[in-house]
Amino acid sequence: MSRMLLAEFATGEALLGAARQSKQRDLRVIDAFTPVPVDGLAELIGATPTRIRLVMFIGGITVAALFYLLEWYSAVVNYPVNSGGRPLHSWLPFILPPFATGIFGAALVGLISLFLTAGLPRLHDPLFAVEGFERVTQDRFVLVFERPEAAQHDEAARAWLTAIGAARVCEMKT
Amino acid sequence: MTENLARPAGLAATHAGLDRRAALKLFAGGAALALASCSRPPEEIVPYVEIPEGLTPGIPLKFATALPLAGYARGVLVKSVEGRPTKIEGNPRHPASLGSTDVFAEASVLSLYDPDRSQAVRNRAQPVAWETFAGVLRTQMEQESARHGSGLRLLTGRITSPTLRRQLDDLLRAFPEARWHRYEPVNDDAAFGGALQAFGRPVVVLPRLSDTKVMLALDADPLGPGPQQIRMGRDFVGARRAQASPQDFLRFYVAEPAWTLTGANADQRLALPPQLIRNLALAVAKELGANVEAGNLPAEAQRFAELAVGDLKSRPGRAAVMAGRAQPAEVHALCHWINAQLKAPVDLIDPVDVAEPGHADSLRTLNEDVVAKRVQTLIILDANPVYDAPGDLDVRGALRSVPFSVHFGHYNNETAAMCAWHLPLAHPLESWSDLRSLDGTASIVQPLIRPLYDTRTLHQLLAYMGGAASASSYDLVRETWKARVPGGDFETWWRGVLTDGVIPNTAQQPAQVPAPKLPTLAPAQPPTGFTLTLAPDASMFDGTFSNNAWLQECPRPVTRQVWGNAAHLSANDARRLGLVDGDVVRLGRGDVQIDAPVMIRPGQADGIIRTTLGYGRWQTGAIGNQVGFDAHRLQSIGSPWVLEGVSMAATGRREEILTTQHQYQLEGEAHELFPILSIAKLESEVPRRHESVGGPATLYPAYPYNTYAWSMVIDTGACIGCNACVVACQAENNVPVVGPQEIGMGRDMHWLRIDTYFTSESSPPGFQPVPCMHCEQAPCEPVCPVMASIHDAEGLNLQVYNRCVGTRFCESNCPYKVRRFNFFGYASGQEFANLGADVVKLQFNPDVTVRARGVMEKCTYCVQRISGARRTAERENRKIHNGEVTTACQDACPTRAISFGDRNDPASGVNTLRQERRHYELLGELGTRPRTTYLARLRNLNPALTEEKA
Amino acid sequence: MTAAELDRSDALRWTLPSGRSYEAVNRLVSAPLIERAAWSWRAWWIAFAVSLTFTVIFLIAVAWLFVSGIGIWGVDSTIVWGYAIANYVWWIGIGNAGTLISAMLLLMRQHWRASINRFAEAMTIFAASIAGLFPIMHLGRPLYFYWLTPYPNTMTAWPQWRSALIWDFWAILSYLLFSIIFWYVGLIPDLATLRDRARSRGGQRFYGALALGWRGSARDWHVYHVYQLTMASLAVPLVVSLHSVVGLDFAASLMPGWQETIFPPYFVVGAMYSGFALVVVLAALVRGGFGLQALITPAHFDVMAKILLAASIIMGLSYATEWFSAWYGGGRVDRDLVAYLFTGAYAPLYYAQLFCNVVLPQTFWFPIVRRSIPAVFLIAIAINIGMWLERILIIWMTLSHGFLPSMWRLFQSTIWDWLTMFGSLGLFATMYLIFVRLVPAVSMHEVKKDVIDQEVSA
Repeated sequence: MSRMLLAEFATGEALLGAARQSKQRDLRVIDAFTPVPVDGLAELIGATPTRIRLVMFIGGITVAALFYLLEWYSAVVNYPVNSGGRPLHSWLPFILPPFATGIFGAALVGLISLFLTAGLPRLHDPLFAVEGFERVTQDRFVLVFERPEAAQHDEAARAWLTAIGAARVCEMKT
Repeated sequence: MTENLARPAGLAATHAGLDRRAALKLFAGGAALALASCSRPPEEIVPYVEIPEGLTPGIPLKFATALPLAGYARGVLVKSVEGRPTKIEGNPRHPASLGSTDVFAEASVLSLYDPDRSQAVRNRAQPVAWETFAGVLRTQMEQESARHGSGLRLLTGRITSPTLRRQLDDLLRAFPEARWHRYEPVNDDAAFGGALQAFGRPVVVLPRLSDTKVMLALDADPLGPGPQQIRMGRDFVGARRAQASPQDFLRFYVAEPAWTLTGANADQRLALPPQLIRNLALAVAKELGANVEAGNLPAEAQRFAELAVGDLKSRPGRAAVMAGRAQPAEVHALCHWINAQLKAPVDLIDPVDVAEPGHADSLRTLNEDVVAKRVQTLIILDANPVYDAPGDLDVRGALRSVPFSVHFGHYNNETAAMCAWHLPLAHPLESWSDLRSLDGTASIVQPLIRPLYDTRTLHQLLAYMGGAASASSYDLVRETWKARVPGGDFETWWRGVLTDGVIPNTAQQPAQVPAPKLPTLAPAQPPTGFTLTLAPDASMFDGTFSNNAWLQECPRPVTRQVWGNAAHLSANDARRLGLVDGDVVRLGRGDVQIDAPVMIRPGQADGIIRTTLGYGRWQTGAIGNQVGFDAHRLQSIGSPWVLEGVSMAATGRREEILTTQHQYQLEGEAHELFPILSIAKLESEVPRRHESVGGPATLYPAYPYNTYAWSMVIDTGACIGCNACVVACQAENNVPVVGPQEIGMGRDMHWLRIDTYFTSESSPPGFQPVPCMHCEQAPCEPVCPVMASIHDAEGLNLQVYNRCVGTRFCESNCPYKVRRFNFFGYASGQEFANLGADVVKLQFNPDVTVRARGVMEKCTYCVQRISGARRTAERENRKIHNGEVTTACQDACPTRAISFGDRNDPASGVNTLRQERRHYELLGELGTRPRTTYLARLRNLNPALTEEKA
Repeated sequence: MTAAELDRSDALRWTLPSGRSYEAVNRLVSAPLIERAAWSWRAWWIAFAVSLTFTVIFLIAVAWLFVSGIGIWGVDSTIVWGYAIANYVWWIGIGNAGTLISAMLLLMRQHWRASINRFAEAMTIFAASIAGLFPIMHLGRPLYFYWLTPYPNTMTAWPQWRSALIWDFWAILSYLLFSIIFWYVGLIPDLATLRDRARSRGGQRFYGALALGWRGSARDWHVYHVYQLTMASLAVPLVVSLHSVVGLDFAASLMPGWQETIFPPYFVVGAMYSGFALVVVLAALVRGGFGLQALITPAHFDVMAKILLAASIIMGLSYATEWFSAWYGGGRVDRDLVAYLFTGAYAPLYYAQLFCNVVLPQTFWFPIVRRSIPAVFLIAIAINIGMWLERILIIWMTLSHGFLPSMWRLFQSTIWDWLTMFGSLGLFATMYLIFVRLVPAVSMHEVKKDVIDQEVSA
């Protein structure tokens, strides 16, 4: 049974500062919740670099390749027809549909992997129960620490956080 | 024989007839009835080609018969599918057909299935039974015989049928005081009058164009619509072979007030009012030593006369002149004299038609008799005087005063409305009869199908009037010829003439005539005011074909107008009066006034108003009623074709003139679209496109065509613009009619169109028939998203109707714009007027799909005929013979301007034609590699004149 | 600095002081959607009634079209294409601008785009959907439109891949779906904001469901941001290829005035042009309609006017290139066609097109015009009219004046042509009104990040 310490800040900078300094005070940052993306925050809280670009690239290429294959098979192998004396394998015009569909494929694959990594759609999360958490999507920045076991450490942490400008500090059980 | 069972003998109807009529009332022209009647007639009719006895389902038979035009026969072969006539083709053995057709012959099959055809006997418009009429007629004839028929009058059109003539003679013998009158609106009165003056006897002039090197036509239109069009066209082109040396190449001079097909095909054309054409004739005669006073001529005409006479003189025995029906008898006589001086290659034969009195006089006397109450019984046989008699004769009023009047015709028309009785007449394709052509050749008319409705033939009526209780036209016709056959086995002879479609040794022998007398003819003064010149219409003729939708929508030659006629004015007159195309003017002559839309025709003589007959019908049917204006009313019985002092006033109204072509003039570089070469310079001049045949270089792979490579070559030098191919294509390929509203929206469905281009204001236009080009690198194919437009292994550009979704990308990308789109269900539920009636569907060619709404269609090179031939060939396990496949347009063409064949076959004609110097591709520089290519038009200008031009 | 100076400088800033805080943005944007009491929708209902009427007209026109056939339009045997294709090209052109703004400007770090990209993207989606309808309506047999897709069928036939219409089909489909994804992903954080601000249970459920449980975790934001950037860089080639393909519908033919190598780029610019013009119009309406003066400022109109100006110059150049290449290429038909542009029956329309697309926008050289919202608004409307004229004239001119003079004809518009066209405008308006009623018209999270942060730090 772990407990978490939530510190709420007014700006991204404040939250960023707190996250940096917490390193020296061996407080472990679990996560941060912000209304807008805060540059450099992800690295601080130790998020692994995303591979979503690679996934989208592979997805896109695959879709395009399959589509071109379909064109080639239907026009050259399965139902070859003389159309205006053009070559059966008119690769130039054949490129266009795969291009468009390929891009869409990339987008779709990307969307799926985004949902998987971000765990969407999510029906409920204990954090939603935390009073005041709703402002995270509006104008508040919340940093989440692992709550130290020792009571005095806990006290120190809370004090320190308030000191560096946390508007509110509360804890949450999960 | 079995006719009595098959159909009511004589006139009295059997119950079968009643049932049929009852059925008729239930569903007018309904399928049940039509199909019920859809069988071969009971008598033995003999196939043209020798085939095993009995009809093989699906294998169409061809029967030889003859169709009348203005009473003269054109021999035809009728294609009959399971007892339904579907297509008319020419009979090669018939001198007036030579295997080709004209628009009227092609379209007559549609008239057969016309839902508006009269289908019942009517007394004062009320349908009654045949036997009712039979009874009434019997008592009437009894009264007449009491007074030797003094009150009996018969009015017919031109009668060439020997059987009919025999029956008429018998009747007149039985009723000595009865009279037979004839009125054919398009008649030869002037020509006969001229012959009388020149030779003292009527003769018919048959120019031997094929032997002629110089021809001068004075207001004559041999290439125009009429019973001789096919023959004249064939000879005309025959005398103008590109291979021939310029010396042997016919040079055609034409002087005419307004554009005719003859003028459009002339080498040297002069626009001249009809009165001055008389002076031109005098000038020519004077040059040839006649002691006549030549009136004054405009300088241009003077020059024209000199050139013409020079040429005529230089070719004794090879030069001739001819005068048209609009010219007075004196000019015809003068032409006889001139031809005599030139030893002209013309045949003079005794007329088939009765020459005296002329049609006009005959009608006039009848009118007088009626007015003088000398007529109790008037029987009108297949004539429509109320509509087509000249306006200054009050036929309508006269008819009312006749106690017992009968109209017997195909339609319940204007005349029927004025008569006490109307009788439905059987269509020529439904009846036994016989006919003679202008040169006298006789043919048997055999029925292709049992009468669709309860109709009778003229023969039956005349027989009944003569007192015969029961007679069948079949027997009557055989009777006539039994008497004439020089012994031998009649049945064999009969089979023979039915098979051939012509009766041997019936052509008229050349008439022995004295040297022609020089007529006394005073020169005419230049006319003041407007002169109205009339002519039979190229599609309606004299109105006989008004209810034929194919003909209504067939673009008239040169103007390409459809669904109506117009008052043609010269550009100068129009400018002077501030009139533009479509302005409605009021034409007046005496107390007759009619409104007509104006159409401006560059190259028409000033001071001339030109229009055509056959429009403004008010009672013919759903198609022909109220189309155009009725010019007959302006006619005068004295001078039906040329009317002087006609008034014209703008009404301020406008009326859209419907044409299928809006731009006739080729400007600047556009001339390359239609090269015209001078025969003299043929060796040096070459169409710009000649080098580029095969198109520019291409990166695409060459597709092998190793079975057949179908290809078409169209000789624009031979095309006289008669439209036969257009209607033939329509008949063969089930091409729908769209109607005037759609034409007004710029839509039409013709798979083959005849583009008409003027290269300069005055010089004659050229005709360029444009079917699908069947491009080897077709622009229409790669743009079709669903493979509905594809290429086959024989090089045909195919349209797969059931695959087409109607994006219309193919047509928008077609440089020739030959594809046609079904914007509405023109043939599938949204037909124009009554063309959706089931009976009309009987005409459809079963080998050709009827296209649905939203589908693109176009010329297929008659692919159904190709695959038919392929099937036969494969059964016999051989290749398709050269010339085995012919397209419908090719068959119809009177001048054989269209050649079709397999390019892989070295023997085929198209290959030789493609080698000609005149050969060119239309828009070949686009790299479309069209399979349809052209030969340039040829003109044989007088060298003297060409120098002046230079 | 004095208040006056402040205002003057504000006139060229991306926000007004009243909107220069996170909460202000939240309030301004979300109030109309979730604070029933605080907001009156009367104007909206009136607009909705009007546009709904036009939508009904559109539906009637389409129904009658399907009942009686394509013949009710003015198309004829020569000019087989007409309004449907012109409307299609026009709408798809408009459908390009949204993506342009959200993608191209994003990559170019044009932060001000944040204030307008949301409703621009919505415009894209609706315009593209409507554009997609026209090619189907225009078919002779619309019920078989699916024959353009490769699927196993009894005819064993496939689509014909060389046809530009097939390229269209896939380009539009891909583009439409892509835009929807792009747009929705962009919406998620704002939906979460609405979820958390909504008072009513219904609002919470509705937006809660749409927000998919977004928490704004730094990890999520990281992936989210990368994904958005990648989508943007994919959107640019997609949108360019889309309208190039539309240009190829014409350029891949061999008709004079169509077969021109300049068409694809010139169509792309034209598309951006008309699209941007409509964005300006919508910006003015959204700004006024939702009292967003604080977030959409004259500065935005100023910069968009500059873009329109640039585009109008490129259009002018493209027209000139057409004339030049026709003259220089020296083909008979091409020269005739250019002569026909200026002297033919359609010449007045052509001059109107040149005036609206090239001459009028030159007034944007003057800052006073650029910063006057009414002026920019009216000129933008003129540009849209001009661009529609260009589309219809590209079709009419070429088809009316093709290779063979015998087939030269004039197009005759019918009432149904017009009803279908104005009806489609009504349909667009209806969909758009529903959009602004349910979804934040301005991207709150992007405004917060890209604009407020900049402005505050500035």
